[in-house]
Amino acid sequence: MSLAFRNEIDITVWLAGAEIADVAIQPRSRPPLTRLFAGKPAQSLLPVLPRLFSLCSVAHQMAFLSAVEAAQGQEVTEATARRRVTPVVVERLTELLRGLFVGPFALNGTSAAAVRAVLQASTVLGSASEAVSDPLRGEVLAQIKAALAALGMTGEGQALAPGSALAAYVERGGGEGLSPPAVEQSFLTAADDLEVVTRLLADGATYSDAPELCGRIPETGVWARRARREPVPPAAGTAARLKARIAEISRLCAWLEGVDRDAGDGAIASYRLGAGKGAAAVECARGRLYHAVSLDDGDRIVRFEFLAPTEWNFHARGPLVRSLKGAMLSAGRRGQDTVRALIGSFDPCVGFNLSFRETGHA
Amino acid sequence: MCLAIPAEVTKILPDEMAIVSIDGVSKEISVALIEDLAVGDYVIIHVGYALTKIDPDEARRTLELLCELSAEAHGAAS
Repeated sequence: MSLAFRNEIDITVWLAGAEIADVAIQPRSRPPLTRLFAGKPAQSLLPVLPRLFSLCSVAHQMAFLSAVEAAQGQEVTEATARRRVTPVVVERLTELLRGLFVGPFALNGTSAAAVRAVLQASTVLGSASEAVSDPLRGEVLAQIKAALAALGMTGEGQALAPGSALAAYVERGGGEGLSPPAVEQSFLTAADDLEVVTRLLADGATYSDAPELCGRIPETGVWARRARREPVPPAAGTAARLKARIAEISRLCAWLEGVDRDAGDGAIASYRLGAGKGAAAVECARGRLYHAVSLDDGDRIVRFEFLAPTEWNFHARGPLVRSLKGAMLSAGRRGQDTVRALIGSFDPCVGFNLSFRETGHA
Repeated sequence: MCLAIPAEVTKILPDEMAIVSIDGVSKEISVALIEDLAVGDYVIIHVGYALTKIDPDEARRTLELLCELSAEAHGAAS
C-alpha cells in the first residue's frame, strides 16, 4: 500500500578515505495520529493501537492507558501497576530475542524453531488481564529457558555456549572492519521523563521528530539500561551491544522467575500534567516510549502525541551518528557490512536504507 | 514505530520463504518465525520477516485504518 508518510530511515555515510567524515540521517515521518484520533473517546482507541503498531504493541497500549488514566486523575492500585509490568517485560524479552534474528543473522531450522517456541510460550505470560497459576508459569518458563539454551544462551549473563550459532554470530559482529571512536555517552533515564512529556505535549510533532534535552540527545534502549547498572566502555561496538542484549534477555527471564526483581523497575511511569492532561513512559525493548494525551470533559481525545525510542537513537545528531562519526572503516564490502551490523545493533523499529558516499563527490 | 502493514501470502517458497502481496505489490519475505502458513493467510511484516499471522478481518480493518491515516496525512500536507 502506498502510504502518505515515510516508514523507513535513510542513512548516508560520508567517507573521507578510510574515515567516516559524516553521517546524514533522513528520519521516517510520523503518521498523523492526532488528526485521526481527535474527537474519539479515549477508551475506544486502546484496541486500535495493536492494529497500528506491529512492534511493542503491549508497550503502546500500556503507555496510552497509563497516560489516559493520569489525564483523568485516576489512581492505579499497586496490584494493578504490578500486574501490568509482566506483559511489558515479556514483550521486551521477545522483542529483544526476535531482534537478534531478524536482519543480518539468518535463522537456520533449529534456531527458528527455538525462537518460535519462545514467542509462543511468552503469549501465556503476556496477558495483563489473566492471572497465570504458579505451576503453569513454571512450565512456561521452563519451555522458554530450554528454547534459549537451544539458541546458545546459557542463562548466565551474556555467556553463550561455545560453538552455538549465536556465539558465532556475535563473534562475526565483533567490530572487525570498524574502529568506533570513544565518545562521551549520554543516556535517557526516568529522571528525564517529565521534561520530555511536557515538551511533547507542548510542541507535538516538532518535538517528537527531533527530540532533545537542552541540546543533549541521549541514547535509550539496551545499552542505556546496562549503563544504569554498571559502567560501560566509551566505544561501544556491535559485539558489546549484542552481548548486552543477550545479558538482558537472561535478566528478564530471571525477573519472570522471581529471581531478579530489578529488571522490571521503571517499566511504566505515568505523569499528570494538569486537568485533562496526562502522559506515560514505558521502558520497551528499544528504549523509553512516551505517550501524552489531552482529553476534553467527555474523555475524548483533544491531543495525542507519542515519541518512540528510535527518534532518539536515530536522531541526526544522536547516538548512532556519534558512534560512527570519526570511525575508521575497512575498505570495501567488509567495512560496509560492519556499519550495517552496528546500525542493526541499535535496532531501529523501522527498516533502513544505507548508502556510502565519498566526500568531494557530493 | 513500525506500522503494522498486513500482507497476503500469495506463494510459499522453499527454505521458509514466501511471496506476499502488499496492496498489489509483491515481495519476497522470510516466514521462518511463523508456523503453518498457507496461501491466502495474512501476516504482519517487519524488515523482510513475517512477524505474526492475523485473520483476514483484522487485516481488512488494519488496511482501512492505514488508508484513513494516509488520507489524513494527505490532508495535512495539502
